[in-house]
Amino acid sequence: MSKHLLNITVNGKKHAVVVQSHERLLDVLRDRLGLKGTKEGCSTGDCGICAVLMDGKLVNSCLVFAIQARNKEIVTIEGVGTAEKLHPIQRAFMKWNASQCGYCIPAMILASKELLDRNPNPTTEEIRNATSGIICRCTGYVKIFEAIKTAAAEMRAAD
Amino acid sequence: MTNQPKASLQTRQQTLVVGTSAERVDSLDKVLGKPIYTMDIVPENALYVKVVRSTVCHALLKKVHLSRARNHPGVVAVVTAQDIPGINESTALLPDKPLFATDRVRFAGEPIAAIASFDPNIAEEALDLVEIEYEPLPSVFSPIEAMEPDSPKIHPNGNVCKYLKVRKGDVEEGFKQADIIIEGTYKTPFQEPVPLEPEAGFVIPEPDGSVICVGSMQSPYHVQTGIAKILSLRPEQVRVIQAVTGGAFGPKSDEIPVDVLGIAALVAIRTRKPAALAYTREESMIGHTKRHPFVVSLKAGVKRNGKLTAWEAKLVADTGAYASLGPLVVIRACFHATGPYVIPNVKTDAYCVYTNNTMAGSFRGFGGPQSHFAAESHMDEIAKKLGMDPVEFRLINILKPGTRTATNQLVDEGCGLEECITKAVKESGWHEKRLQFKKMNGTKKRGLGIAIMYHGNSLGPEGNDYGTVHMQIDPDGTTRLRTALTEYGTGAPSALLQIAAETMGLPLRYFKLDASDTEYCGDSGPTVASRTITIGGRATQMIAGKLGQKLGEIAAEMLQCSVNEIDVRDGVYQRRSFGKSVGFVDVVANAYAKGTSLKEAGTFTAPKCEYNPETSQGTVYLQYTYGAVTAEVEVDTETGRVQVLKMVTAYDIGKAINPVSLEGQIEGGTIQGLGYALMEEMIHKNGVVMNPNLADYYVPTSLDIPEMKMIIVEYPGALGPFGAKAVGEPPIVLPAPAIVNAIYDAIGVRIDEIPATPDRVLLALRNAGRARGRS
Amino acid sequence: MRIFDMFVPENLVELLQFLDAHQSGVHLIANGTDLINRMQRRQITPKLLVDLTGLNEFKYVRREGGMIRIGALTTISELVASPLIDPRYSVFKQVAMKFGGPSIINMATIGGNICAASSSEDLLPVLLVLEAQVQLRSVNGERTIPLNDFITGKRKTLLRPNEILTETSLPELDTSSTCGYEKIGMRNSLIIAFVNCAVYLKMNNQTKNIDDVRISFNRTSGKIPQRAQETENALKGKRFNEQSITDAATVLRGELKLTSDFRASEEYRTEVAGAIMKRILRSCAQKLSGEQIIV
Repeated sequence: MSKHLLNITVNGKKHAVVVQSHERLLDVLRDRLGLKGTKEGCSTGDCGICAVLMDGKLVNSCLVFAIQARNKEIVTIEGVGTAEKLHPIQRAFMKWNASQCGYCIPAMILASKELLDRNPNPTTEEIRNATSGIICRCTGYVKIFEAIKTAAAEMRAAD
Repeated sequence: MTNQPKASLQTRQQTLVVGTSAERVDSLDKVLGKPIYTMDIVPENALYVKVVRSTVCHALLKKVHLSRARNHPGVVAVVTAQDIPGINESTALLPDKPLFATDRVRFAGEPIAAIASFDPNIAEEALDLVEIEYEPLPSVFSPIEAMEPDSPKIHPNGNVCKYLKVRKGDVEEGFKQADIIIEGTYKTPFQEPVPLEPEAGFVIPEPDGSVICVGSMQSPYHVQTGIAKILSLRPEQVRVIQAVTGGAFGPKSDEIPVDVLGIAALVAIRTRKPAALAYTREESMIGHTKRHPFVVSLKAGVKRNGKLTAWEAKLVADTGAYASLGPLVVIRACFHATGPYVIPNVKTDAYCVYTNNTMAGSFRGFGGPQSHFAAESHMDEIAKKLGMDPVEFRLINILKPGTRTATNQLVDEGCGLEECITKAVKESGWHEKRLQFKKMNGTKKRGLGIAIMYHGNSLGPEGNDYGTVHMQIDPDGTTRLRTALTEYGTGAPSALLQIAAETMGLPLRYFKLDASDTEYCGDSGPTVASRTITIGGRATQMIAGKLGQKLGEIAAEMLQCSVNEIDVRDGVYQRRSFGKSVGFVDVVANAYAKGTSLKEAGTFTAPKCEYNPETSQGTVYLQYTYGAVTAEVEVDTETGRVQVLKMVTAYDIGKAINPVSLEGQIEGGTIQGLGYALMEEMIHKNGVVMNPNLADYYVPTSLDIPEMKMIIVEYPGALGPFGAKAVGEPPIVLPAPAIVNAIYDAIGVRIDEIPATPDRVLLALRNAGRARGRS
Repeated sequence: MRIFDMFVPENLVELLQFLDAHQSGVHLIANGTDLINRMQRRQITPKLLVDLTGLNEFKYVRREGGMIRIGALTTISELVASPLIDPRYSVFKQVAMKFGGPSIINMATIGGNICAASSSEDLLPVLLVLEAQVQLRSVNGERTIPLNDFITGKRKTLLRPNEILTETSLPELDTSSTCGYEKIGMRNSLIIAFVNCAVYLKMNNQTKNIDDVRISFNRTSGKIPQRAQETENALKGKRFNEQSITDAATVLRGELKLTSDFRASEEYRTEVAGAIMKRILRSCAQKLSGEQIIV
């Protein structure tokens, strides 16, 4: 009961990994699968920095033991876009210089994605609520909101 | 009465790259989630280190039992002070702090030993196996008490590690001239910086005995000096590379990265393996430096016509168990203790005091927030006593060109304070709203408050002020800039590229910023005090200018004219008289063909600040940033909760190098200031931190931020490139007094201790109600 | 993170048998929002965890037999997404809004909230005033207990070592009753409440007679959510007006036995408890009558 075979899909790719009980989803993403984009900010679920999408829903990956994520589909920041094909949200964050130290940005981008995937035309209130579980210390959030609005407009125009 | 907008705004030349909201060069990697932070790039075979910390705040260390930890399966090494080849010291300024405690601990959380394993979970488990025998010593937690002669002594030379004073004119005379004298005492808390990336670093031992240190840090050369001392190596044997750093705000500039890398280095040289140390959030909050709590006592004399005649201030700072940069924080606080006003007679005494609390040190603002909280709260109290509007009272006394500060420094033409005030006041709807709010009924009350500031730029009296920049152009035209002035979120190094591009007449896209690596960058002093754009920018102008001159000479030769006939714009070198031109890439190719070096490097050193150390009279900073902030609040009088509805910020920042990055710095600093005003406090109980986590230490969330309106005013400063002034720190200074002044406007109660938590506000309301009931 | 073992049951039967065989030293884990937090803070160091997340049969919100039945593994966000919540149980939306952001409500489970049994679990005051019942299951069968009895102390419940909580059920609200909630903390999101309060009000719209009222706080006396029964009795049968709710607030002041901690003082919590109780009562009455009763 200290080791488990974990079947999990991450960014569209299936993996079978032997994990220990105490390994968190965050640890497996970073240390086993080499996906360093997901960050650890506090270890206790109070900052949201480690957030990923699990079956489309934003969750704190530091609060999920890896084996509890079995058979789920995980999307991390690496699955959102690439340098050759940036997601509109990523482009918008760059345009607004919304990333300062960058540490909250993967979580913020995933929270934005969860929001815009289900609500293409969010109000300012909805944007605030969608990001309310993620702490940013550098930006004061303002440029992050602007980036999300810009991304939403671009995504609506593309449809 | 009001000055006209500066004429120099119109006469300043147009800039092409400086002044544009160019995208930051570090954004792409960050939005892609690339592995660029310290713990993303730890070598495969590294050991992971955990630190044994004291649980008692002041004690003799009788015995530390490490054998069970050493023998725990999977533990590879345990290190203590005995493993230090050089000097057991990790400090920022005074030689008061060891890397590892040996005979004595002075705060709860002080490092004593470290445990290393290939599995960090095993190292963590082994922490539980360490037993420490303490002999407790009497402790002191209040800096005022610590100044008493019979207080427990924390360090051999006494508990006051820095004292300085300002003496201008004669305060006693000043008080005699006053019609009214007003006294008040104001208190500020330990504010925790909360960089989102906790401290981290790893050390790779090289076969030749040297080490490579990679970490989250602000000041690579400070780290180099500190590690060399600990390991008994020459500085050249310690290569320090700043990894991408996820926020800093101060603690990563001083001894803390030396703590982290020093401990990792001891494991690395013992085991000959790479060793990584990452603080947990709890460890970070306990172990790194925070803002100094201050107790500020003020006494002001004023005439009935509103003119201030005298200002007496006593500032007492709690620097915790070790001084860190406390002495320098107190210097800045001392010089700014009056706020930005003309006061003919000033007496300020400032003390930096040890206690057995956790350490205080650098944090954005560096004494400015504490001084201004006190001064600006007090200004409102004075205005109230005079029956004057707070803005009207301030305008009578503010610094203007030609007036003199508390240190008798002449204010030059680069002073936009008045314009900041009048614009902020107008945008906030000051007069109309304050009248309207008085008429509101109900349990929720609104108020509008103001606070103003000045902020001496760069190091001033705090140290030698220099910046070093290296540039080179690759054969393909990539123009690289590197400097030990680091990026950790400010965007300032990206702005240096804009300055270089502007200076050289080239498009920004040709430029690339390289890592801050002591192997390739010369010492540039610490990345603090908002000096990257001011000092680093001047160095950049100098070096880019030289490189640009070289390119111009080559272009001139190619165009067969003198270099004075060349105009360069957007990468095209144009011969003025005949209209012929040649492109940058061709000029570069030509240079390489001829073997002309396209490398330049150099250091810009700011003039020293000259002032009298006894009276602190003279030029203490080379230029000042000015600002005014208003805050509109709603106070729920049944719960004490304060919502900030709107803030207007107006800053004179000399020249905006990158407007959107500038706004980002202002917004971020403003929200940190809002946290300081309403919710942030590291609570110590008998020296132990009660809330070392992000559940009980509250920073503002996205639901807490107000509507923000930013006004930028540009009165060029004497020091910075294109007249740019420091903008990194100022935004955190004013929200607290503006918000507390707004609370006063809303409910008629003065909160003289921040944070103005719901508990404090409700208690103040009830006490005021009871007092009114009695009278 | 300390090292431990985890048992991952394939189905409910396997789970119940395992629990019955082990009886002690076992911690159940749903989505870990409470448990992992406490493990990281070294408040507990379990050696054996049992993972409940595979039991998808306990994710549901149903209406059955005059009750709203909520499976224990239903998350807060799944609960508020259920069409059965609007409009009668919009109080759950109020709870979700102040719970802590999307990533927390996507994970926190109803069962997890209940079994944590602490004053930082926001759902508990609401479930208490809705007179929720909990269904417990073991190899020996099922039993149903009122939530009020189920929580016996701080982090203490009547859950036996071989039991799991499978469902919580609420009697349906009729048209003359409603429920309200408010949470007061240091900031607007991600807060452990200083005070939170839930109120159930059943009022006759014509006479404004308070037919029934239930009030609970995150802490009433001691450190667990409980009903404020003296205060309830002071309101029952009275006419709803500003005087009666003010009188009730005075009774509440005497009934509350709170403590100070580094988060907030006892005086503060007591005073604010009364203020928000009155606010929620007013808003409940307004919801029921569709008019502003009190100026």
